[in-house]
Amino acid sequence: MTGPGPALDGPLHFDAVVIGAGTAGMTAAIRLAQSGARVCVVAKGVGSTHLAAGTIDVLGRIDGEERVTEPGAALERLIASRPDHPYALLGSGVVADSLSWFFETAAASSPRGYEYVGGLERNMLLPTAVGALRPSTLVPITMAAGEASALHRAAIVGTHALRDFHPSLCAANLREAGIEARPVFLELELERADMSALGIARRFDDPAWRALFCAQLSPALRSEDHVGLPAMLGLRDPHAALADLERRLGRRVFEIPTLPPSVPGMRLYEILRRALRSAGGRLVIGAEVVAAERHGERIAAVATRAAGRESHYAAPWFVLASGGLASGGIELDSSWRTSERVLGLPLRGVPDAGEPRFVPDFFAEQPLGRVGVAVDPQLRAEGAENVVVAGAALPGQAPWREGCGEGVALASGYRAAQVIVRESGAGAPAGARAT
Amino acid sequence: MSTLSTDVLVIGGGATGVGVAWDAALRGLDVVLVDRHDLAQGTSGRFHGLLHSGGRYAVKDPQAARECVAENRILRRVAADCIEDTGGLFVTTPWDDPGYADRFAAGCAETGVRCEEVQPSQALRGEPRLNPRISRAFRVPDASIDVWKTVWAMSHGAQQRGARILPYHEVVTIDRSGDVVGGAVARDARSGDELRIEARVTVNATGAWAGRVAQMAGIEGVRVLPGRGIMIAMNHRLVNTVVNRCQMPTDGDIIVPIRTVSVIGTTDQHTDDPDDHTVPQEEVDRMLDEGERLVPGFRRARALRVWTGVRPLFEDAKADSTATRDVTRAHALLDHEQRDGVRGLLTITGGKLTTYRLMAQETVDAVCRQLGESRPCRTETEPLPGSESGEHYRLGERLARKEAELRGEQLICECELVPRSKLERAIAQTGSTDLDDIRRQLRLGMGPCQGGFCTYRATGILHERDGLRALEADASLLAFLQERWKGVWPVLYGDQLRQARLDEWIFQGVLGVERLPTAPETAGAGGASGAGGASGAGGASGLAPREAP
Repeated sequence: MTGPGPALDGPLHFDAVVIGAGTAGMTAAIRLAQSGARVCVVAKGVGSTHLAAGTIDVLGRIDGEERVTEPGAALERLIASRPDHPYALLGSGVVADSLSWFFETAAASSPRGYEYVGGLERNMLLPTAVGALRPSTLVPITMAAGEASALHRAAIVGTHALRDFHPSLCAANLREAGIEARPVFLELELERADMSALGIARRFDDPAWRALFCAQLSPALRSEDHVGLPAMLGLRDPHAALADLERRLGRRVFEIPTLPPSVPGMRLYEILRRALRSAGGRLVIGAEVVAAERHGERIAAVATRAAGRESHYAAPWFVLASGGLASGGIELDSSWRTSERVLGLPLRGVPDAGEPRFVPDFFAEQPLGRVGVAVDPQLRAEGAENVVVAGAALPGQAPWREGCGEGVALASGYRAAQVIVRESGAGAPAGARAT
Repeated sequence: MSTLSTDVLVIGGGATGVGVAWDAALRGLDVVLVDRHDLAQGTSGRFHGLLHSGGRYAVKDPQAARECVAENRILRRVAADCIEDTGGLFVTTPWDDPGYADRFAAGCAETGVRCEEVQPSQALRGEPRLNPRISRAFRVPDASIDVWKTVWAMSHGAQQRGARILPYHEVVTIDRSGDVVGGAVARDARSGDELRIEARVTVNATGAWAGRVAQMAGIEGVRVLPGRGIMIAMNHRLVNTVVNRCQMPTDGDIIVPIRTVSVIGTTDQHTDDPDDHTVPQEEVDRMLDEGERLVPGFRRARALRVWTGVRPLFEDAKADSTATRDVTRAHALLDHEQRDGVRGLLTITGGKLTTYRLMAQETVDAVCRQLGESRPCRTETEPLPGSESGEHYRLGERLARKEAELRGEQLICECELVPRSKLERAIAQTGSTDLDDIRRQLRLGMGPCQGGFCTYRATGILHERDGLRALEADASLLAFLQERWKGVWPVLYGDQLRQARLDEWIFQGVLGVERLPTAPETAGAGGASGAGGASGAGGASGLAPREAP
């Protein structure tokens, strides 16, 4: 790596610098800040939250179990059968602790009443926009009424203005799964023929709009006891929007996640951002790490470029939570060389030369899919002893196939903070549980 | 079995076959055309989009060069709307034989290819990404041509004149009694129904598959050597002019700017099976290396997709070579009455896209001779539907049109600017539930995200409009994802890999398509492991309270 060039000001000093603002990076940063560390998150952009469903999926599928029902128990089987999986490094105790911590943190930083429900005992099975049933471990309260076991007669409501949600297809597939679902189309008064879920969500923040919406929807409903809507029930106070709709419609209402940008994902990001701020951590978005200062096995500082100027961040510890192939944290170039982009760290899980990286079947597991930064059991990067790795940058996982992306992100972010706190001798963070 | 009667039965819906249908319909003949797949799904839909000036053949194959010169002029007139007038350059790079340039200029002069030598600095001003070390540069009237637009235009034009165009009808037998071919039986791939088509003349326009179809009529020895070539679409207009290496034609020496991409081509490998679509890694690497020589930085640009096309190279009696580039690129029209004593059957094969119209003209001339009728060809002057104004396609034209309509329109595919109304029309017109058929009409899913966003939207609209069963809609969605992936994975790196992972995230992570009833993985095991999880789960158990209704 090249060293950073001279900056106008000296470097900014922190106890820890976190690279990446997805669920993993934010979790690590909040934990560190809660333990009293001075921490700063630097990120090229907002993280994975805006793309994902806004649920916390711990484990949805393992070898031989197409649909994991009890994630806590399945976790033990996964750990036994895949020693290279991040969960095997973390251990199931850390997973449970990180979820408990998430409940507390989410509850403290959420808009009133907007809480996550569920647990490791049992996955919830929720409809997707295509009408498939997807297992999730924790879900926002606005999705909870969509749980398949309680869903008998549902109206699936959409509007032609939203091209990212198709009620008839969703309902048809739900009927295949034995749920009596019926599509309902509303012609809403919107300023454009083409609205995103985000655009409509902003309207749902307004009680007057909700009243109009319900006045139009009510006469179209029949005997359904549930109403499914694309995930767009507001950003500021979604729980109030949910309660308002349920009261006006006299039915249970639930959100169905659809194409990005994800409204529930943005709410999750906002929860994490507030938690970081209230714990005293800093967050710099739009700051891509462009260089690192390295002394032997240690990273001394990273340089970011933002708004046309370079800033240097020095710290005894770094958390690398820059994601995997999807976020660009790990790259494959046209000469088929794979590399970790931020710090140039060694990788694990790269197929040997001459072996396939991808296979012709879209639905099969792709050989390059489990690539990640080589780490020791403490999540420390090979060749960089003060860098702890978290999230999708960890090797050995297939986040979407296994339905484990957020679970790994939370648990490894949580663990990364633990490792740093312990190693730096700062004492146990307030409220931490022994593992 | 139902029966149709017609003057001319055309087997094969590529540019040549549809060209024959258009030509014959313009002459007032009744036509039926069948193809085993969709129109332009074979070789025609799998080329780089180059409308030759003739320059590429000026030294090696003067006859082919002359044909290209003439056809280039005609197509610019009659298929104006399908053509972007990019112009072309032949440039000598440090890797090319410097002596070829003078032979090239002489060959162009001799064959009538309009060719003007310009200073390398001047060429570089127009194409600043070109390798600055070029030593010679020639301007020629190459252009890019949208083959789908061309084929649909001819197909619509022929249908307006009464032709019946039947895609997804595969010929299962050719009706031959004695020395006369009287038509064929085709099977509808969707319904499974068979259809007898009685025809006064049958035209075998099946390109690389022509030998197989001739054999069905009991005619041996029609040998077509399939020459397989790969092409890679780069997600940018790396050049805005067709750029050729000034050397004897070889692999990876052309970059064609077409629509919003540029296509590098191609390789040339003999294959025994015209349905062979293998993409060898070493050919991908060779294309990228050659691209780097023409446009430094080529490898850092985003590669969208790779595909293969199979050239139909009719084997000349004297050539016994398997080096397919050395076999003539000229076309061959076989009158089986003269060749084999079998009346009522013609085979047209070989050739290249640029000369499809000429091939069609010669074929329909022969049809008329067999019918004993005199009907002059009109395709040289009659514009294709949509090309009446004589104006060429311009990049940005669609965007300008879309922006004017955007307020009231919804874009289903942002990459290729496909509005909802157009998608709904295409669904109604094709009657197809196959999103890949829609793609060939509208370019749905052909842009940078390769269907990442439009696949779900289009499936939803298809389902709503067509009243499909869920399983049919799901099958369309899954098949389209697989079809897009087919061209992506062999050339997946850089930003396109990020895109592919995002698409995977959307479909597997957010939508959970692998959990649909028809999904490949769950097809067998779904009942066993799936149902239990759906019922009986309380859902509210665990670490946090759940609000009561």
